[in-house]
Amino acid sequence: MVLSEKALAERFGEVVLPHLGDALALARWLTGNAADAEDVVQEACVKAHAGISGYAGGNARAWLLTIVRNTAYTWMSRNRSRGILAVGDLGDLDEMAAAHGTSLPDEDGPEASLIARADTAALEAAIAALPPPFRETLVLRDINGLSYREIAAMLGVPMGTVMSRLARARGLLVSALGRAP
Amino acid sequence: MTMHDDGLPNDPEGIRLMIHALVDGELDAAAALAVERRIAADPQLAAEHARIIALRGALGRLPRPDVSDAFRARIAALGATATARPVQDVPTQDEAAGPLRGTPPPQPGLIAGAPVGGGQRRNAETRPSQTRALPRARRFGSFDWRALAASIVVSAVLASGATQWVMVDNASDSFAAGVASGHRRSLLAASPIDIVSSDRHTVKPWLDARIGVSPPAPDLAQDGYTLIGGRVEVISDRPVPALVYRHREHLITLVAEPQQGGSTIEPADLSSGGFSLVHWSDGAFSYWAISDMERPELDDFVARFRKAAV
Repeated sequence: MVLSEKALAERFGEVVLPHLGDALALARWLTGNAADAEDVVQEACVKAHAGISGYAGGNARAWLLTIVRNTAYTWMSRNRSRGILAVGDLGDLDEMAAAHGTSLPDEDGPEASLIARADTAALEAAIAALPPPFRETLVLRDINGLSYREIAAMLGVPMGTVMSRLARARGLLVSALGRAP
Repeated sequence: MTMHDDGLPNDPEGIRLMIHALVDGELDAAAALAVERRIAADPQLAAEHARIIALRGALGRLPRPDVSDAFRARIAALGATATARPVQDVPTQDEAAGPLRGTPPPQPGLIAGAPVGGGQRRNAETRPSQTRALPRARRFGSFDWRALAASIVVSAVLASGATQWVMVDNASDSFAAGVASGHRRSLLAASPIDIVSSDRHTVKPWLDARIGVSPPAPDLAQDGYTLIGGRVEVISDRPVPALVYRHREHLITLVAEPQQGGSTIEPADLSSGGFSLVHWSDGAFSYWAISDMERPELDDFVARFRKAAV
């Protein structure tokens, strides 16, 4: 069935516009700054608009964020030197996480109250310092609010990988905040 | 460690993942109950649980990027243009939300199918805004933009005349012609700017990152000239930075051509036919200010810009 132009335009308004804040947040954490995030989201929205007839219901936020993520990586490979993008082998990273990253911390993990009091700047710096695959998973879950299943589908990885990356990312944040004065 | 037969993993790594899943609302009732029992029986797990909850809380309080009215209007405007065509980066529905091929079966106790848990909470937040989205989008679509569009149509007519004048009467000065046609193109384009920001600390780095130069971009909002963004013009085969200011309904394009050891030139009037173009130089940049404003108003802008850009 071919939808009319008007129907497609309305669908674009319903599917894309409510999630611009989420889209900017994801792009901001993937690219590292807010100005680039607007560029990426605008480009993603052009693609979303062009592909809106392919959207057939389901979680609109997850659909848009998938486009934003793909666009962000295309954008970065176009606008940044390779050095910035090199993140090492993802498989190694996950193995590393499984090997020694996620064992239970000893009894002297930081107090929960210390984490709860963490200030914005310290938390943002800790997120920025995460290795990209961990950061991406954490942002999709804790900032964009996607489910494990949606994240697994978006990243094309098994759900167990999402779970271990998320646990690893949170563990790194907890220890970073625990070290903060 | 005591062995449990509650169906949960018995290794520390596995149980830890289950605590995260509990906090994320990804567990069904039976598994959640079992994990809660383990937490209640083990102070270390309880501390870990408390840390994860505290972290989630701190992350939830992080400021969200604001979607500026201008940005929302630009995106809303996309909805009203162009024809849909297939694009590579856009996932099909199966890829975006469907089950993942080759994914192992979900962990025991994980609720199959989304959305669940935290997702539910977020959905509850976004649902009302989805129903509001359309009227809101329309409002933003017309906000400020209709007035601007009206000015753009008028300016475009004037600008086309001016361009012709520049090309005919100043044929030797192709740079001026480039400035004029760049301004005209910008008025016809969906957005007159590539980077929308009233913050010079955003515009300057953006220009720096693209072409390695950025002119002074003083904030003249108090004088009635609002910096609304910037773009890159290509004039005489060279990329040059351009700032865009707004004065009431008029747009001012300020092209700044970098100079090497250039001399200072006082503002010179190159205007004609109701279309204003002023050229001056401060030694570092050669400036071209063009607008459909009256000449005295553009002179006022130039004077304030020169004063602020020192």
